[in-house]
Amino acid sequence: MSVTVMIVDDSKLARIVASKALAQLQPEWSKVEAGSAREALEVIENETVDVSLIDFNMSETDGLELAAELRAMRPEMPIAIITANIQDEIIARAREVGAAFIAKPVTSDGLSGFLSGAALKLRTTRA
Amino acid sequence: MARAAGSALNDEQLRAVLAAAGASGSWDWDIAGERLFLDASFAELYGLPTDQIRDGFPTATFFRSIHPEDRPRIRIAVAGMLAGASLFSKEFRVVTPAGKVLWMHGRGQCHLDADDEPLRFTGLLVDVTERKRTEERLRIAQSAGGVGTFEYNDGFATVSVSTEFCVLLGLHPADRLPLRTINSVVSEGELALIPEGVQGALPDTLAGEFLIRRGDDGELRWIARRGEVQYEADGTGYRLLGVIYDVTNAKRQEATLRELAETLEQRVAAEVAERQHAEEALRQAQKMEAVGQLTGGIAHDFNNLLTIIIGSIDMASRRVAPSADPRVRRSLEQAMKGAERAAALTHRLLAFSRRQPLDPRAVNVRDLLEGMSDLLSRTITEAIAIAIDANSGVWMIEADPHQLENAILNLAVNARDAMPEGGSLRITARNAVHSGTGGDMPAGDYVAIEVVDNGVGMDEATLAKVFDPFFTTKDVGKGTGLGLSMVYGFAKQSGGGIDIASEPGSGTRVVLHLPRGDASAVEDQAYHPAAEDFGRPSETILVVEDDDDVRRYAVGALCDLGYRVLEAADGFAALDLLRGRDRPVDLLVTDVVMPRMSGSELAQSAHEIVPGLGVLYTSGYPHDAIMHEGRLGEGVELLSKPFTMQALAAKVRELLDR
Amino acid sequence: MIPEQVALTELERDALTEIVNIGVSRAASSLRKMIGEQVLLSVPSIEVVSHRRAARLISEREVAELIAVRQDFRGPFSGRALLIFPETNSLELVRAVTGGELSAEEVVEMEHEALAETGNVILNSCLATMANMLKRSLTMTIPEVLRGNGATLFEVDESGAEEGLVLFLYIDFAVRMRDIRGYIAMLMDIPSLATLKELLDEFIASVVGDDA
Repeated sequence: MSVTVMIVDDSKLARIVASKALAQLQPEWSKVEAGSAREALEVIENETVDVSLIDFNMSETDGLELAAELRAMRPEMPIAIITANIQDEIIARAREVGAAFIAKPVTSDGLSGFLSGAALKLRTTRA
Repeated sequence: MARAAGSALNDEQLRAVLAAAGASGSWDWDIAGERLFLDASFAELYGLPTDQIRDGFPTATFFRSIHPEDRPRIRIAVAGMLAGASLFSKEFRVVTPAGKVLWMHGRGQCHLDADDEPLRFTGLLVDVTERKRTEERLRIAQSAGGVGTFEYNDGFATVSVSTEFCVLLGLHPADRLPLRTINSVVSEGELALIPEGVQGALPDTLAGEFLIRRGDDGELRWIARRGEVQYEADGTGYRLLGVIYDVTNAKRQEATLRELAETLEQRVAAEVAERQHAEEALRQAQKMEAVGQLTGGIAHDFNNLLTIIIGSIDMASRRVAPSADPRVRRSLEQAMKGAERAAALTHRLLAFSRRQPLDPRAVNVRDLLEGMSDLLSRTITEAIAIAIDANSGVWMIEADPHQLENAILNLAVNARDAMPEGGSLRITARNAVHSGTGGDMPAGDYVAIEVVDNGVGMDEATLAKVFDPFFTTKDVGKGTGLGLSMVYGFAKQSGGGIDIASEPGSGTRVVLHLPRGDASAVEDQAYHPAAEDFGRPSETILVVEDDDDVRRYAVGALCDLGYRVLEAADGFAALDLLRGRDRPVDLLVTDVVMPRMSGSELAQSAHEIVPGLGVLYTSGYPHDAIMHEGRLGEGVELLSKPFTMQALAAKVRELLDR
Repeated sequence: MIPEQVALTELERDALTEIVNIGVSRAASSLRKMIGEQVLLSVPSIEVVSHRRAARLISEREVAELIAVRQDFRGPFSGRALLIFPETNSLELVRAVTGGELSAEEVVEMEHEALAETGNVILNSCLATMANMLKRSLTMTIPEVLRGNGATLFEVDESGAEEGLVLFLYIDFAVRMRDIRGYIAMLMDIPSLATLKELLDEFIASVVGDDA
């Protein structure tokens, strides 16, 4: 089963860190990167994206707004909001748009719960 | 803790280990399960039932025995730990069931899960009651001893410091100070007070001394640093623990001592030179004193002889008949001139020997100099330009105006003789304040009278001898060699001094320093030559003189002047006469130096018989009895021997009319 | 000198220290995860000082030029948070957070961006934790990387006027194995301080209860 994960973060370092954790947990999965919400929307137009990891703190459109847009387009897609801004309010808003919450810095431990849940969900929807 | 470690050690063993380590209890707070597990020591400390240890206690139990004053603070700190703060390190009081108050140090940490959610809060209580007391003592010792403490963790940009530390360096008191702030007080070129170097470069101890400039008042101080470098067990870093204190005073004393030691030789040499100088001065003074006594003695005898000579010539001149051979009269006149010159010479000798009686009055130097300008221009040749300069601000002095005139004239004449080809002579007066150091005059206000010429000058060898009596640079017969020595004697006797500076070819400067007088003293108006006055038969004068010739002369002169005269050869005879008279004696004229009873003793006894009796002393050698610090006593008049009839007449008249 | 409404009581100061402690612990934990090394923290210092003195406190600490990641926050209380370290530490920090996977050129190339992200993670986790403890929410700006001295970092107008009081908070941190050190500093202006004081009182009341 081929799975593509989109990593959206305006920080290249953050994308590297997330990719590394992803590669450890799901070596078979492929990834595609976007440096902003606009780029993310372009990617999703042209490619098949199964899972999205989205940074919250981005200029112009923030991660929660992007997540809401993606949710509207792809109600079934597993989405996670990644941020060091661990305020209760942000976690609550992530939950409202149906996104998981992962604290930065991203570690394989922190990511594993979301990814196994996503894998399970993908298997069920594709089955 | 007990639960966690249970597999390796049983509870009893663990407790023993912890107790040995000074622990008074340990806890393990299950955050999710909201249960507090304590060990037996903790339970005992709090007076909790030990049979509940296995099941744990409600979490609020933790605060139960904490002193009420400390409880809010600890609740806040624990709240922080339960929310994920990493370290707990607090001191607080625990009240035991027996009511004893113990200081505890609780140290704990939070255990987080993978999502940074706090799971457990574990820690250890250590009884620090003893340490608290020690700390208190230490704190007092530190502030009393002026010791500041610091602790520095390598890697941090700030240093934990005590208040005293900040005070010593003159910095704003704070618990933590930036490293750079601390090191910025150290003077340039010195090592850093708190070294920041790499591990390898650190010394074993922190002993050192630093010159600093205090932050607040900018004062330079020496600061000593002592302490230890403590390396972390895992080799990752170090801590610097130490104290500083001010050693400025010790440093200064040390420096003074060192300087003393280094300059010892030099100081010994200077001391020896100074002593030699003092000895030289003493020898000079002794020599002058000896010469003074000798000349004074000679002058005294001379004066007595001259009094007889002058008196006799005087008498002979009066009695010589107008028809007599004019050669007799001329011879007598010549004899009188010679005798008068001899009298002037002995007078100068007395001036030098400082036994000249001075009659100090308030003198306005400016007026005195102005009054002398005529005399000076007549004495000094036209080839020499004379400038007299004294402003009206020059203080009054107290001195004998005659002698001062003499002194100035003497100096002017010397200056003239130093300028045979002509030149300029400048006489100035100005105020001068002496600090009392670097001279033999006492501190105080003086008027400096300068006599400056641009004549031939003198070399050093000559200068050294100018005040010696009979020393002269003038040709034989041109000077007596008594001029400068007389000026010297006058200045000394007047409480002042004299400076002389000269170089061959560039002239001479003599400065006469005379002490400032009482400004309120009224300038003596009476200073003017007195006219001869005659006496009346109603006025009785008692003459006492042991030298028959002198007495005869004086008695004769007074009779000639028209007075009624009584005479006595000594004090006892004189007192008999005073007691026996039914008519009062108006004036006592007595010699000062007489055998058996001196003139002043006589005057004293006479005053007991005739209070307010006028006394006129005659003397060629005024004795200490009538001299107070070289001056005549109050209400005493003195006639120097030898005296002329005119002088005697004037003095007697002055006293009777007073 | 310090207006009554912003003078913190001892308990309020304890509470603020504790809250900052939690935030900083969280931040240190984040940093530890990023670089895989132990991070050492000092006890936070809290002072109410003039803007100018705050800038000087920072300047006095360092001889070298500074580099800082700055993030402003807004909400019931507003202010500015900075992650500051000597410029000479900058590349070492980037090397540490990129985990040795980048070449030397890439490290230099990524320096700015890596610093911004590191600051973002550290300051966000710190501020967010504080917001959670006080049960309020804060809006945080995108992190900015600045270089300069204390005055430029705090935007102190050297010509004067900046005499207003601020709450100045700082915590030393050091990563000994990496020879990295720096500090987290926070500035809050006076109106914010008054609000903060109220929030601290609420926090104290909830934690201390009847013992206050």
